Amino acid sequence: MDVGAILLLILSALVLAVLLILRGRKGPHPRIRPLSAFRDLWEEAGYAAESGGAIHIALGGGGLNGEDAITSLAALQVVEALADTAISYHAPPVVTVGDPTLAPLAEDILRRAYERNGILELYNPTSVRFVAPSPVAYAAGAAHIVATEHITANMMSGAFGAEVSLIANAGTQQDLTQLAAAADPRALGALYPSTDRLAVGEELYTAGAQMTDERRFTVSLVAQDILRVILVLAILGTAALAILGGW
Amino acid sequence: MTKLIRRWIPSLLFATLPGLTVLAGYLSPDPMLGYLRDLLVEGAVIVAAFAFLLGTFNVLRVHGGKIGQRERGWPYSLVLLIAMMVAWIPPLLQSLVQRPPIQETLEVATQALFNYVIGPVGASLAALVVFTLTLSAFRLMRVRRSAGAILFLLIVALVLLGSAPLMGLEWLTSARDWIINVPGMAGMRGLLLGVALGTVITGLRVLFTSDRPHSEF
Repeated sequence: MDVGAILLLILSALVLAVLLILRGRKGPHPRIRPLSAFRDLWEEAGYAAESGGAIHIALGGGGLNGEDAITSLAALQVVEALADTAISYHAPPVVTVGDPTLAPLAEDILRRAYERNGILELYNPTSVRFVAPSPVAYAAGAAHIVATEHITANMMSGAFGAEVSLIANAGTQQDLTQLAAAADPRALGALYPSTDRLAVGEELYTAGAQMTDERRFTVSLVAQDILRVILVLAILGTAALAILGGW
Repeated sequence: MTKLIRRWIPSLLFATLPGLTVLAGYLSPDPMLGYLRDLLVEGAVIVAAFAFLLGTFNVLRVHGGKIGQRERGWPYSLVLLIAMMVAWIPPLLQSLVQRPPIQETLEVATQALFNYVIGPVGASLAALVVFTLTLSAFRLMRVRRSAGAILFLLIVALVLLGSAPLMGLEWLTSARDWIINVPGMAGMRGLLLGVALGTVITGLRVLFTSDRPHSEF
């Protein structure tokens, strides 16, 4: 039993609950710093529609039953936010997954978007593709899709390792606009040379707030900021106490 | 009433309640909670196994369609499907034929498939990552000459050189160790703390049913 983990959970739950109750429906809309990794996707969806291509969204090798479940859920927000616009333009994204548990969820998001747009008969289930269960094989398969299909932009958002470099390299060779969001330091190191539109670490979890401006997302970002300040103060306080205790 | 049934009951039953039970099972030493946690996690594993079956159908549908319509790169799809079918044969026969000598032969065939095909191909692909990373670093020098990019490349070069056993340049090893253990570790810890906060908040949103990726309502 980890007391620190329990305290962090209780504190986070309290801050989020209070914010959701107080500011979940009314009050001033929290302002957030725009990130180019997410904001440019709308333009890319428009360009994909004009050129008859599609945006490729790589969701990585994470699934719903592993340690990357939350990262994968956060990455799915990109698909959720983009689905309606892309489908109304008749340019659905090509979504690749490296874990089959993520595929039904991504398929469902796209199917619902078609339903909302009243064109369910146009829904193509092959828009979501399970590539391979091993991370490197997944990256190689996704890179092949980027290289051989009419892809106009390459979005890599989710649980990746250094193998994401294979997908990014395929995108660079096709001279595509590349956008990325990753939490793993190995993936960040591999992505940094390929794109300057990179959401780093915790920024991946802001996808919903960045792309939809929905209050539930922006309010949870505020909760995240409050908790960050508390954590920083706790770290500084502990360090100060350790120094004073040492003297 | 309809809103209650369609929106709240499925979310509470399938997301909040199991989520809280598993969380409590991990955080509390109570054996009953531990038992419930294991039961729910086992259920998730079974569901994941079915998801693999769906994944296989997805691969068949995507690549079958490509072959049928002779799309660009269709021969690769054909090779993929043939390889998939071949890989199925030994484990499938193993479950059907119960005679020990045949079972042993099929076991050897399955192992050989992993050891001599899947393993080496995976390792080759992993080795390719080194080249794509190097290529990206070279491209970075050409297309993005910012202070950050130059610092990135300098540190990469220093860490790589510091890992090599170069005579007379032992100070590079000390510099590499300092970079990894002081600024590298500090940055990594900051990053991981941020990721942990993001994970906790996103998870709590699902538990509070504020985020319902599984539901339209």
